[in-house]
Amino acid sequence: MAKFPSVAWFDAVRRVYNADDAYRGAGGGQCNCLMGLKVGRERYLVTFEGEAVTGSWQCSNSELLDADFYLEMPLSVWREMLNNIAENGRATLNYTLNTLDLDREEGLSTSMHGDQYREDLFFRYNQTLQFFFNASARVKTVY
Amino acid sequence: MARKSKKQAEPANAQPIPKPNFGWMGRSNQWGTRVKPGKHGLRLGDLNVGIYGEIPEQWQDQTRNPRGAIPRKGVPPVGYPVRDKADLWADSAADLYEEAIQRRWAPATDIPWKSIKPLNEVSERAVCQVMTELSQYANCDIETISNWQHQMAYGYHEVKQYLATASFDSARMYEAFRKRALCNGGGLGLEAPGYVNRMILESRGGWSEAVTYLLLMRGTFMQTMLRYLEKYAHNEAERAIYGFALEAKARQMSYGLEHLQYSLAHDEERRSVMETLLFIGDRVWARELKDHVLREALAIVFAGGLDKAASEGMQIHKAMMTDCMQSYVDTCAWLGLPRNLEMMPPRITQYLVAARG
Repeated sequence: MAKFPSVAWFDAVRRVYNADDAYRGAGGGQCNCLMGLKVGRERYLVTFEGEAVTGSWQCSNSELLDADFYLEMPLSVWREMLNNIAENGRATLNYTLNTLDLDREEGLSTSMHGDQYREDLFFRYNQTLQFFFNASARVKTVY
Repeated sequence: MARKSKKQAEPANAQPIPKPNFGWMGRSNQWGTRVKPGKHGLRLGDLNVGIYGEIPEQWQDQTRNPRGAIPRKGVPPVGYPVRDKADLWADSAADLYEEAIQRRWAPATDIPWKSIKPLNEVSERAVCQVMTELSQYANCDIETISNWQHQMAYGYHEVKQYLATASFDSARMYEAFRKRALCNGGGLGLEAPGYVNRMILESRGGWSEAVTYLLLMRGTFMQTMLRYLEKYAHNEAERAIYGFALEAKARQMSYGLEHLQYSLAHDEERRSVMETLLFIGDRVWARELKDHVLREALAIVFAGGLDKAASEGMQIHKAMMTDCMQSYVDTCAWLGLPRNLEMMPPRITQYLVAARG
């Protein structure tokens, strides 16, 4: 059991993700980026390196500048997304990262640096990022 | 039966084997190179060490001489028209090449085709129409990229190699779109008007011009469409097709935008040329947008059928076009090419004006 958001939660999810070869199949593969997350008042960074997620830690707002892109939603929407994943084993259409990005006026993915090349990693690695969050279906999550 | 000895097998008029002199063995511009694999393996970009990593602003050699090798005298020139770094380069090309190989997919086996169930005929016709036009887009990608790839000098092999994977990515898209059209009781629909395809394919002014039309303009449209199609997919197979295609298209966009950025920074004339290209391209694009076929087919897909296509479906189509055009003008601005909406065709700016109230 792990509380979302917390480093313990990200570590639990990445252990599931790193252990499952299915996430390295079609649509997956090597992924190299630093993903940020804004969840309410908390900020996190998650490192994707090669075929693994190698680290996660809590950070300050200014440290999000290092992220290639960061995902920002109110805690209530994060919770809806994770509940959807837990119920279905993966995100269904209304809760995929792509759909959440389209549905939100400000988008889901953005950056502090405005470098479009780095922001586009959200699309280049979209399936892998989705696989990562889908792996949370196997982590008992509390809020 | 006894085997003949080698000597017996030689024909009577055999020439003696010339004595080797091995004079070529001492010839290398840089010997002793030992590139070691890193934690991600031995990647193409890792090889850019010493003279092998010297990438000149202009590639003078007109043969197929690999970068860093000693040119051989007397080799006839092949005649590569694209020889300036500013005309093709993007720093990310080697990484994108590796990424495209690492993240490849196979439409035959990686798409859960069995998840496709019969749709009502109107919806199936709409999906098939969209697949018809998307397959044309993918085919236009392949033809355009391959047409330019062989015109690029060997000195910029990272770009040539990445474009080989980009061409293959588009081949996979073509395959997947066609398979979706032909696997559920439907078939291909009506050919697209093709004004933009023709503009892209007939770009004669250089690869950067082709990139402007193929990726900045068409690429933005296709990427946005794939995102909406993934959102409104009927089944897991469609979701996978659009999701995989979206990643491949995003790689192509990354190359294209980084190349245009590089080109604008290194070629003083490029800015004014691109402004003219965009002015022309906008009008061709606007002409293509007059065609109602794709718009209506998408509206049916987005609305989940005919009943709400004219209302809800068209509203979602409008939202898609707004996202597309906003992304297009934002990207132009990011490249340092801010657009004057008053100079753009109303058929394009209508979506932006509506969004801004």
